[in-house]
Amino acid sequence: MASFRRARRSVASGAFTGFCWVVTGVALAALALILWSLLVKGIGGIDQNTFTMDTPAAGSVGGLRNAIVGSVIMCAMAMVIAVVVGVLAGTWLAEYGRNSVYANLVRFLNDILLSAPSVLIGLFVYEFMVAPFHGFSAIAGAFALALIAVPIITRTTEDVLKLQPTALREAGMALGTPHWSAIRQILWKSAGSGILTGGLLAFARISGETAPLLFTSLNEQFLNFNLTKEMASLPVVIFNDALSAYDDLVRLAWAGALIIAVAVLGTNVLARIITRERHPS
Amino acid sequence: MNAVNTDDAEVYEQYTAQIAPDTIKLQTRNLDFFYGKNQALHSVTLPVINKGVTALIGPSGCGKSTLLRAMNRIYGLYPGQRAAGEIMLDGQNILDKKVDVATLRSRVGMVFQKPTPFPMSIHDNVAFGVRLYEGLNRAEMEQRVEESLRKAALWDEVKDKLRHSGLSLSGGQQQRLCVARGIAVRPEVLLLDEPASALDPVSTAKLEETIVELKKDYTIVIVTHNLQQATRVSDNTGFMFLGRLIEFAPTAELFSAPKAKRTADYIGGRFG
Repeated sequence: MASFRRARRSVASGAFTGFCWVVTGVALAALALILWSLLVKGIGGIDQNTFTMDTPAAGSVGGLRNAIVGSVIMCAMAMVIAVVVGVLAGTWLAEYGRNSVYANLVRFLNDILLSAPSVLIGLFVYEFMVAPFHGFSAIAGAFALALIAVPIITRTTEDVLKLQPTALREAGMALGTPHWSAIRQILWKSAGSGILTGGLLAFARISGETAPLLFTSLNEQFLNFNLTKEMASLPVVIFNDALSAYDDLVRLAWAGALIIAVAVLGTNVLARIITRERHPS
Repeated sequence: MNAVNTDDAEVYEQYTAQIAPDTIKLQTRNLDFFYGKNQALHSVTLPVINKGVTALIGPSGCGKSTLLRAMNRIYGLYPGQRAAGEIMLDGQNILDKKVDVATLRSRVGMVFQKPTPFPMSIHDNVAFGVRLYEGLNRAEMEQRVEESLRKAALWDEVKDKLRHSGLSLSGGQQQRLCVARGIAVRPEVLLLDEPASALDPVSTAKLEETIVELKKDYTIVIVTHNLQQATRVSDNTGFMFLGRLIEFAPTAELFSAPKAKRTADYIGGRFG
């Protein structure tokens, strides 16, 4: 009887482990296929023109310079806004607001914003920053991206600050440190890599966002540094070119997709290296 | 056991009445403490002798850590926790709202149960508190850091790696780093909340040596679960039970001839 039970358990255990392996394999295979096609088709589209020439009209030679510059500018502006607002808001929720009614309200609204469709955010910013001024602009684009990034950073910042041991907080205060300095000098440092992860997640999310930019920064054929005018961006160029009938435009779209993927991966790796150097284990 | 079941309230009063008032550094008087509506301390009156080690013993939940956490008002971090009564530090009631907590905490330092090094270098850990109160120049700061680490018996182990992260040290070293950080601001009183409970026996022995050494300069209050530790390091011991101070006496006396029955039962291992 006992040996039968043991045999049954080992079969069940084996079946479950096997199932986990298969499912993991399926998920990884999908990811590998995506990355593989991205790599093959993307590399084929990249040449020296990609980084030196602007987006072409169909049938002519061109590159992605204006879109790359546009994406970098708008993402950078969005991240500056989002990191400042998100980290401060998350810190307030974790350290000051805690379980007050107002904090719970902010937390609830933040969670709604976190799951809001990005097209809605695009429309919202269109109503407030594009329509009244009768013009699409890079500023509006950056603002829309920031609105998507803020709730992600707020949430992760609050979560990692709450994970910091109470004793660390108390040890800071026990030296007579004012709460605000204890947060700045001890808790932020201690939670640094977690907050950074939140920032990277947000960056990865906004670097591929198309919908909000369609309503705000639109597109621009040429290199442009004027923030009050339309500005090109990689996702919008991909959106426009990927389904076009011209092979060279489709190739350019693949190149753009690869550049986004590499940029996100690159910042991730770089950030990991930096945090590891600062916090040797 | 020659313990007699005397009225608890009278037991420690007999001894505290003999203590000369000018040797008392800190004293709680009729201290009540509440976690919300829950009363955790009942009228605790405990004298802490200047430049001596006072140990607080008692079973879990008896209020000894609560009592310690009242002495630097660290409980103030949590809304809902409050103290009533008096805690006199050099004749001034520190529970008075007018008392500045930052100044209070610079005078009354604390070391916690688990080591809590800050995520920065060993040097900066020790310098952290000093920077809040004093504008020392570089050379003075180096000197202060060395002096504090020496007093905490850690200098020889870390003098070549002051720029390394405080988190890279072993648990016992981290705890002595926290002691060094606490004494670097030159407090008058040092509160130790079960400082050795997370340490191995060798680290514990080192920490106890440090405590005995520190007694020359500081007034120390230590909460401990370890009765032998109380006998090794302390001059006076208070036994607490269910939020009350049951007995307070010179350590040797309390352990060899406890006057209250519950003290005798606890140190005799009958409960706790």
